[in-house]
Amino acid sequence: MAFPWLSASILFPIGAALLIPFVPDKGDGKQVRWFALGVALVTFLLTVGGYLNGYDPAVEGLQLVERIDWLPQLGLAWSVGADGLSMPLILLTSFITALAALAAWPVSFKPRLFYFLLLAMDGGQIAVFAVQDMLLFFLAWELELLPVYLLLAIWGGKKRQYAATKFILYTAGSSLFILLAGLAMAFYGDSISFEYTALMAKDFPAKFQLLCYAGLLIAFGVKLPIVPLHTWLPDAHGEATAPVHMLLAGILLKMGGYALLRFNVQLLPEAHAQFAPLLVVLGVVNIIYAALTSFAQRNLKRKIAYSSISHMGFVLIGIGSFSALGTSGAMLQMISHGLIGASLFFLVGATYDRTHTLQLDEMGGVGQKMRKMFALWTVCSLASLALPGMSGFVSELMVFVGFATSEAYTLSFRVVMAILAAVGVILTPIYLLSMLREIFFGKENTELASHTNLVDAEPREIYVISCLLVPIIGIGLYPRIMTDSYRASIEALVRRESSAMALVMPTPAGNLIRQAGLQASLQAPALTG
Amino acid sequence: MPLAGACLVGLGLISFNRTINRLRKPVAWLLISCVGAAAVLSYTILAQQLAGAGPTEVLFNWASAGNFNLQMGFRVDALAAVMLALVTTIALLVMVYSDGYMAHDKGYVRFFTYLALFSSSMLGLVISPNLLEIYVFWELVGMCSYLLVGFWYDRDGAANAAQKAFVTNRVGDFGLLLGILGLFWATGSFGFEEIGAGLQEAVAGGSLSSGVAVILCLLVFMGPMAKSAQFPLHVWLPDAMEGPTPISALIHAATMVAAGVFLVARLQPVYEPFAAVQVTIAVIGTITLFLGATIALTQQDLKKGLAYSTVSQLGYMMLAMGCGAPVAGMFHLVTHAFFKAMLFLGSGSVIHAMEEVVGHEPVLAQDMRLMGGLRRWMPVTSSTFFIGCVAIAGIPPLAGFWSKDEILGQAFNTYPLLWAMGFVTAGMTAFYMFRLYFLTFEGEFRGNDKAMAAQLLAAAGKTGDEDHGDAHGNLADHPHESAWQMALPLAVLAVPSVLIGLLGTPWNSRFGALLDPHEAAEMAEHFSWGEFLPLAGASVAISVAGITVAVLAYPLGKLDMAALFANRFPAINAFLTNKWYLDAINDRLFVQGSRKLARSVLEVDSKVVDGVVNLTGLMTLGSGEGLKYFETGRAQFYALIVFGGVIALVVLFGSLG
Repeated sequence: MAFPWLSASILFPIGAALLIPFVPDKGDGKQVRWFALGVALVTFLLTVGGYLNGYDPAVEGLQLVERIDWLPQLGLAWSVGADGLSMPLILLTSFITALAALAAWPVSFKPRLFYFLLLAMDGGQIAVFAVQDMLLFFLAWELELLPVYLLLAIWGGKKRQYAATKFILYTAGSSLFILLAGLAMAFYGDSISFEYTALMAKDFPAKFQLLCYAGLLIAFGVKLPIVPLHTWLPDAHGEATAPVHMLLAGILLKMGGYALLRFNVQLLPEAHAQFAPLLVVLGVVNIIYAALTSFAQRNLKRKIAYSSISHMGFVLIGIGSFSALGTSGAMLQMISHGLIGASLFFLVGATYDRTHTLQLDEMGGVGQKMRKMFALWTVCSLASLALPGMSGFVSELMVFVGFATSEAYTLSFRVVMAILAAVGVILTPIYLLSMLREIFFGKENTELASHTNLVDAEPREIYVISCLLVPIIGIGLYPRIMTDSYRASIEALVRRESSAMALVMPTPAGNLIRQAGLQASLQAPALTG
Repeated sequence: MPLAGACLVGLGLISFNRTINRLRKPVAWLLISCVGAAAVLSYTILAQQLAGAGPTEVLFNWASAGNFNLQMGFRVDALAAVMLALVTTIALLVMVYSDGYMAHDKGYVRFFTYLALFSSSMLGLVISPNLLEIYVFWELVGMCSYLLVGFWYDRDGAANAAQKAFVTNRVGDFGLLLGILGLFWATGSFGFEEIGAGLQEAVAGGSLSSGVAVILCLLVFMGPMAKSAQFPLHVWLPDAMEGPTPISALIHAATMVAAGVFLVARLQPVYEPFAAVQVTIAVIGTITLFLGATIALTQQDLKKGLAYSTVSQLGYMMLAMGCGAPVAGMFHLVTHAFFKAMLFLGSGSVIHAMEEVVGHEPVLAQDMRLMGGLRRWMPVTSSTFFIGCVAIAGIPPLAGFWSKDEILGQAFNTYPLLWAMGFVTAGMTAFYMFRLYFLTFEGEFRGNDKAMAAQLLAAAGKTGDEDHGDAHGNLADHPHESAWQMALPLAVLAVPSVLIGLLGTPWNSRFGALLDPHEAAEMAEHFSWGEFLPLAGASVAISVAGITVAVLAYPLGKLDMAALFANRFPAINAFLTNKWYLDAINDRLFVQGSRKLARSVLEVDSKVVDGVVNLTGLMTLGSGEGLKYFETGRAQFYALIVFGGVIALVVLFGSLG
């Protein structure tokens, strides 16, 4: 049997986290943090090892499969595997966690517990992406909430109790839907099985699909988040410390997007065909609504938190686009936002360490003292507003083109949605550049400088950001390094959903004329050229 | 040839990653030599094109999904070669100039890095083979412009101007992006010729109504409108003058703002069949040229005056494009790039010199009311500036005459009404340019007028009490000519400003022959002195009239413009000094409007949406408190409830489905 890369990368951080109490430490947390960083790095190497040794991007199905019966009575098996949907996100998780461990350097309050939770979360999140069993998925999903709750409630800001409670109520409440839908799907039909492959083979009736789909949409919509289920996020983000922030924005939100693709699209394709227009509309609402709220926010953390929501709107549009390009774009947007969001939140934390305020009104003119910080902020903001040459641009463009050329919708729907989504293209620079202006531009801020020590970025911080920028720019310059790794799976997924749509709507209204037109215009250049 | 092009981009890209290097001069010279090498390559390419080499395209797959491929690469043809040579020449000269201009600035290395970054993005833009790649570089030059306008980030004005520039351009990009998407949807391609052919085919085949096609074309045109500062998206350009002057010369006069014109020229195969698009472009161009010139009449800030003049000249180029004469438009682009870069660099030289007298305060150093008589001390600057004025005014045989006259001639044949506007504006151009010249270089030097300085500071809302002059100590009584690094580019630019027009004489247009040999030959064939002379004569006459008025008004003092015009028509004067109130309208309508909207959305978010959530949470907690008395705490019981629920669901659906 081949080396169990995935199981190892799930169990290793959790096992190592259990050892943290035995790490010799003088009480200042120095040994613990080196230990945690080491573990996180090894986990990252394990996932990379899995990618290099056992993963072939050209295969569309599951790879690196490991299956051990666990509780045969319940039909529960330890079953992990990776395909194009999960592999990039597994890599992203271990990568961001390693950086978060490095970003957590200044944490001095209860370091043992902090790093324990961090590592436990690492394993839990990889498990969420890797497991191939509905029940295991639910367990991992829940398991991973606890560390977040504690990380928020113990190390958070002033309103941490409120934020943590809100977070746990929101997400735990929504996971109820996962459990219900999952159990319903598992028990449906002749055989009881929780495994995705078995569930995929089942032929659910349409109404059943719709109900399950709606439940799952609520559950994952909280995580992603979809407006109006988003209000836990600004609070949670507003109170979290920088490393937790990076994990929240970098990985946690992606769980929602991943789960939407994995369950809603893959398992319930016919319901997806019905719900997809709603997803697109919600995506557009996300983009505009969150961009506007972000613009009005005066608190830096909450501003960036809303900008995350806005960016996740593109994921929704991509998922609802019914085209390989758009779905690829959604996937890439998740990865890209994982990197960009993590970098922005890291910078927020680093800035807060210096200014001790998050209110934009109290900042301004700090660019004089913190030049390197200013430069890092500028680069990351430009990445976030989808500047070409960075990953955000590619993913948003793919979503746009994919959606605009999708044949699943009528022309007028696409036109309206594309125009509205493009409004986000205007709004994003407005709030991000205003933010930059308010923090850094202007005359030197003597008042702020008088009672805080505005030192410039230190090498550790520059290192963290550079680690994030390398893939951001790499993907931006040549997106195929990323898209090729999941292309086959996405194409299979889109084939599945398209055939389901043909089943649901044999003659989608207004599409036939359009398609004829497209065919004609596609052939035209070929003929003339 | 493709190799040469690749090296070009490579060099440009390599050249910007050098900030770590704290050695000022070596970095600067390294970057300058990179751009110099690029310039040499560009001229090689231009020479090859002149020798008759065909267009070359190299493509590779950039992103793909399903049966869809995005291709990137580059394409070198005559149009690109001209732009390459133009951009590298001006970039090179501006960099040499900046070495002098920015010598004392803290951000010297940063400045050169941005410049190199800009140059490479701009080169990328001109060799892009398809709309999508153009969009990529389009954004990148926009970003460089943002960084460079906000270069002096401790100035509030610069910060606002940078943001305004970027956001206004994003509004244009919004249209551009939608237009590109739409055209791709309609034709399945991003290439220029393919889109043109595909669109025509689709319209002819009836699968696409021509109205939709026109809308798509106009959406794409929004991009050039923002980038080339066409009405009503021109508002960012004058504000962008907050950036260092070499930037104004390079980006906001010669190259980046011309990118819009360039794109329209590239898109000629798409636009040509649609008359409505052409008319719109021409009309917008005309409005812009008129608007720019009228506002330029009243500007007191030297750089802003030049900026509005740029707006006006860009309007001429767009007019040419709209008249279906891309060659004429491109020709004006090239000539204008040379003389306007020279004028801006000249103004930078003046500002640099004025700073010796009034201190580092842009409100003072750029105001013409404090200048005057500079010719005595700055012979090189004043004479080159004079050449620039003559060139832009359109006096033969200088460059501006040939290109502007070609545009006006085309407009006369196509849209006589627009020609009339352009014609009148030509007179205004001559007047305001010479007004700038006389106020700056002739008459008495007013730089030591402390009362005027204080008044200007007060008007700008700055604190005049800590006298900026004293703060900087040793101020000179009068300005000096700038160092050789600054004087040399001026002198070099003066040469093409005088001569380059001769390449585009209507009877033997070498320029036209390069871009469109067929049309040039036709033009030369149809050329007749009888047609040419009256139009050209009229153009020259109105320019001379403008100059005469300026001469009478300023150095001679025969005409008191204030008494004659401003006092008699205060409304018009106020209208013009307030820039047609467009900034105010924008501010009221869009800036405040969006702020208000955003605030109310946030209000809704925190009060309504979050309120409902918190209320639910509270109710849940309350009911939980109540429920806990009923619950037994036994796990089996809970499991039973859950299980029962599931069974109920399954049964329900089993019976329904």
